[in-house]
Amino acid sequence: MEKVATTIIIIGSFLWLFIVIALDGRWQWQMFSALVLTIGIFCAHFWEELRDTDSTKESGDE
Amino acid sequence: MARERVTQADEWQAWAQRYDIEGGIRTFESGLTVKVFIGALFVGLLMMPGSIYLSYVSGESGAGAAPWVAVILFTELARRSFTTARRQELYMLLGLTGAAVGSGMQYRSFIWYAYFINTPQAASYEIADKIPAWIVPAGDSVGVLTRSLLHPDWFLPIAIYLAGKLLGTLRSVSAQYILFRLTADLERLPYPMAPITAQGATALAETTGKEETWRWRVFSIGSMAGLIWGFLYIGVPSLTGVMMSQPIQILKIPWIDFTQSIEGFAPTGVFAFRTDFGQMLFGFVLPFPIVMTEFITAMASQFILNPQILYRYEILHQWKPGLDVRGVGLFNGLDFWMSYGMGKAFSLALVGMAASIPMLFKLQRSKKTAGERGSFATPPNRGDFPIWLMGLLWFVGMGGFVWLIHWMVPNFPLSFLLGFAFLYTPLNSYITARTFGVLGRDLFDIPYLHEITFILSRYEEIDIWFAPLPDEDYGRGTQSWRVLELTGTTFTSNLAGTLLIMPILIVSGIVVMHFIWKIAPIPSAQYPFAQMMWPINATNECLWKTSLRDGNSQMLQAIRGDYVSAGFTSSLAIYGMLWVFKLPSMWFYGIIGGIGADPGSMIARLLGAVIGRFYMIKRFGMKRWYMFNPVLAAGFACGVGLIGMGTVAIALVSKAVIVKPF
Repeated sequence: MEKVATTIIIIGSFLWLFIVIALDGRWQWQMFSALVLTIGIFCAHFWEELRDTDSTKESGDE
Repeated sequence: MARERVTQADEWQAWAQRYDIEGGIRTFESGLTVKVFIGALFVGLLMMPGSIYLSYVSGESGAGAAPWVAVILFTELARRSFTTARRQELYMLLGLTGAAVGSGMQYRSFIWYAYFINTPQAASYEIADKIPAWIVPAGDSVGVLTRSLLHPDWFLPIAIYLAGKLLGTLRSVSAQYILFRLTADLERLPYPMAPITAQGATALAETTGKEETWRWRVFSIGSMAGLIWGFLYIGVPSLTGVMMSQPIQILKIPWIDFTQSIEGFAPTGVFAFRTDFGQMLFGFVLPFPIVMTEFITAMASQFILNPQILYRYEILHQWKPGLDVRGVGLFNGLDFWMSYGMGKAFSLALVGMAASIPMLFKLQRSKKTAGERGSFATPPNRGDFPIWLMGLLWFVGMGGFVWLIHWMVPNFPLSFLLGFAFLYTPLNSYITARTFGVLGRDLFDIPYLHEITFILSRYEEIDIWFAPLPDEDYGRGTQSWRVLELTGTTFTSNLAGTLLIMPILIVSGIVVMHFIWKIAPIPSAQYPFAQMMWPINATNECLWKTSLRDGNSQMLQAIRGDYVSAGFTSSLAIYGMLWVFKLPSMWFYGIIGGIGADPGSMIARLLGAVIGRFYMIKRFGMKRWYMFNPVLAAGFACGVGLIGMGTVAIALVSKAVIVKPF
């Protein structure tokens, strides 16, 4: 999940740069890259938090 | 070596723990005694005039000093009387004195609108005659022209304000209490920042023992520094202002403007060096990564981004040589940064949601696995209230508030007001209470909510911009109930103190504000900060208040979708890339704060952060330095506050003598 989030965020960031440089920064396209970034950031946080819960549970079991 | 990934919650809680010196206690006593009440009133009312005066002279009210002055006096008196001051008393004293000293500032908006209604900006934007009478009397009324808040012209605005305050107290006390019971008692959230506030009172309670501790010494060092700085920065201009038509300023207030000096190599860049070195103390306490990244980003914005990219590509197109920081700031804002800032604000909301929603899932999950749940049972003697009574009070307070707003703006759709009051406010408050319970800070905030509402409602009258809306957030206030619990102060004593002091402060605040307004017009040369900032604030206010008029205002033209999207998406990209490279999330808040900002305003804060980080922590050790910090800051604020109090006293006396023509 961490790798998925990382990949989505990198794609979103480069997509935004490309839109600003090559597509005159049209807001519709920028918002599309924002959507990609949002998905990446949500994935990142869900992975972070739920990973912690799992590790706590494991350590608690021990 | 790979960097370890730290969650945002862990990062902020690690910072909070630096201040957390001891755990809470669970025995409860009343903090309200006659001596606490009189002490708070005495110090609060003594420092209130100075605090109001300072805010107009330097932009900083120094109100933070008063509670600490009261506590220091109280503990010293206790020591000399061979008695002890309890932490409950000291915490109550902090709260009541803070309320007393801040009571004059609640009427600040009256002075502002009395100025605003007669500005050329309000006239040229055609809103001067449309400002409602429940905000300020007419521009040519006697109450405004003679600068008298006690004139009958002001009765309606003051009555509306008081009704709002009464209903507001009902709502906030009841809603905060209910949310506290939900999040702290039932859900057992930790409230990591609450011990920081609690430790100020508990630490000083120790000083009533026989031995003198380090705290008194640190407080004295801070006070002397504050006195010297306050005299140079506030005292000299204020005292010379009493005697001369143009005050002498040793250091120019509020800044020394280098914007025209840099325009040769950085056109459209701004650099105004803020001369208030009191900001250094903020640098001592703020997280170092935030201060540093904020400054670096601001420098890059003003020396690279603005002149080399935005100006070169004619995005910043209204700039012309010779403008000062206010002019460049206004044009840059209209051309680009205002739109970008809106996008930035939306990204903060989204990032907050992304951090808090998974956190809520985690809490639910951990509760299920552990099979635990808190209960609504209250600890003995905490002074709790029946939940049903608090719920009833909230409904009465909110119902009355909605009715009041409907009376003020009868043509604004009632459905929006009801939606805000009974759907948005409870949901928003609950989310904030939970993020405070876990992280100690607010993450969820929808930016430009009022503006969005006005657009959706298709309401074009100006009056709605002056009315309050029932979109409230009580979540932040839940932390103070947790602090009461940690200091062992009964809830009933806190509520009784608040209700007892309120009527006294309502009356004294308005009388003091009246006399300060009588000294000289605000803004004028006597009040340099107000003189510098209020005209530009008036322009900004006009731009906002007319933004939805005719659908073609200057403000609407300034807001461009592609720039808003750029602010939103670039901020998300910055946040995402910091996460990818496992860099602290604090950098994000620094970068977002610094982008487009004036680096000159951050120098004193940066200096404080660098001295704290590279000298003080090494010299005293981290634990001791963070113990010193709040006491040092309190001492400094106390010194500056005393100078402000002294100068306002002299100004009032001299005015009373000079007004006689014979």
